[in-house]
Amino acid sequence: MMRKLFLLGTGVFWIAILVVWVGSRWLPPPAERPPTSAGKQFTMDEIARHASPEDCWMAIERTVYDLTRYLPEHPSRSGIVEPWCGKEATQAYRTKMKGRPHSPEADHLLTQYGIGVLEEP
Amino acid sequence: MHDNRPLAIPLISATLVGLTIFWALPENLGFWRSLAIVSGWAGCGLLAASLLLMIREAKLAAWLGGLESMYRWHHRLGVSAYLILLIHPLALAASGWAESPALAWAMLAPWQQSWPVWLGWAALLCLMTGLALALSPAMPYARWRGLHNLLALAIVLALGHLLLLGLDYLLLWSPLLALAFILWRVLRADLGLAASPHVVAQVAHPTPTVVEVRLRPLTRPLAARPGQFVLAAFLDGPGFRGCGEYHPYTVSAVAPDGEIALGIKALGDCTSHLQAVVPGVAARIEGPFGDFLAGRPAGPEFWLAGGIGITPFLGVLRSGPLPDPVRLIYLHRNEHDAAFRDEIATLAKAQPRLALDVVACGDRLPDLATLLPAAPALAGHECYLCGPPGLLAAAVRVLAQRGVRPAHIHFEHFDFR
Repeated sequence: MMRKLFLLGTGVFWIAILVVWVGSRWLPPPAERPPTSAGKQFTMDEIARHASPEDCWMAIERTVYDLTRYLPEHPSRSGIVEPWCGKEATQAYRTKMKGRPHSPEADHLLTQYGIGVLEEP
Repeated sequence: MHDNRPLAIPLISATLVGLTIFWALPENLGFWRSLAIVSGWAGCGLLAASLLLMIREAKLAAWLGGLESMYRWHHRLGVSAYLILLIHPLALAASGWAESPALAWAMLAPWQQSWPVWLGWAALLCLMTGLALALSPAMPYARWRGLHNLLALAIVLALGHLLLLGLDYLLLWSPLLALAFILWRVLRADLGLAASPHVVAQVAHPTPTVVEVRLRPLTRPLAARPGQFVLAAFLDGPGFRGCGEYHPYTVSAVAPDGEIALGIKALGDCTSHLQAVVPGVAARIEGPFGDFLAGRPAGPEFWLAGGIGITPFLGVLRSGPLPDPVRLIYLHRNEHDAAFRDEIATLAKAQPRLALDVVACGDRLPDLATLLPAAPALAGHECYLCGPPGLLAAAVRVLAQRGVRPAHIHFEHFDFR
């Protein structure tokens, strides 16, 4: 019984993995969404006013993100991300775990939370 | 097997899984992302419960309904944990699928991610390979045991996966608990810290393929009863090199001074080698385990023994007069295979309540429909069976056909893989 369940579960798992791989290769990518707040500019002072987990903005590579909705989804413990709310966090974003950058998936996720750009100094 | 606490293991498992999920339950997340998190932690909780049941401690085993019950649940919970953990990466991929299939694949592909995902995959593949091998019945025991370690490696890698994700330290209690259970098992059982030192005092050969070893305790004697079993590892001695593996053996006699006897049939490499054991060889004993033949209710009994399955009954017969009438059928292949036959015949003469049938059946499964007592002769009897799995299954079937309810049929599988 246990052996049959193991074989069935393992077989279904690898088929599902195969489906995801085939989908990633053959299904068309979604249409690019236009930036929701293109052109809107914020100063560092404005960003600094959103420095709590309940209202968390960050500037990363001159783009401003409202990450309030994303914070609960971030896999790390809160002490790692929350201190960067209200700050310029490019270096922290690029040096996740001993100098390594975030994954392309994280880059993609980040674009969903963009609200504008950092004002030129 | 009398399962005194049938709900103990499910309750402990549900508590471990429930606490883990309670601690990690996500809020305000999408369905697939939440499912990924819950499945990951539920798998961790189930693995911790499964590994608790791998611990071999006599008191724990007695409390949880016996070692057999623990091993059965160890398998069930381990496979359940694996199946639930398979959902974890698939649900993560599903959470990205709505955005784009490429993003779903990026969630799974470790080369597009970083070390936590590599470690997660390594843990899952170790679990997958380890389970595939653990569920292979034909694999030789020594190789099976060695490859079983892949499952322990899976826990270590999973802990690395969680640590590198930077999760809240409080959440790590269930994988750390699982690791602690593994260490407990390795130190106490596999390395023998919980075992009691004994020395082989006497050796007898009732048949060419059975050896009965009398073991003298070097420290406090075990509180063993006839019919229970111990896990014994035989080490080195004068002119003998033991295989050092722990295997289960039934206690065939208990002396007042704490000396115990074990009946050992040559069934595998280690037990075949043990046929040449000599007095003076060191042994380490864990247990005693099991409650077969313990706490038997008053009333007539029917005993069925197949081959070396005679040893628990022999232990009871040697221990003194029977309080109730017993019908014993002892099945063996041939004269050379009938261990303790003469001694049992002698004991039967001194046991007025014992009716004994010794039957040679050859190499084929005997016709139990003919050999077992008819339904009227079984009425009101407690039935105790000990022998190879095929014989047990056939006997249970025949007894059920003759109206004996499962609660009155007692046996142990003696399969600890």
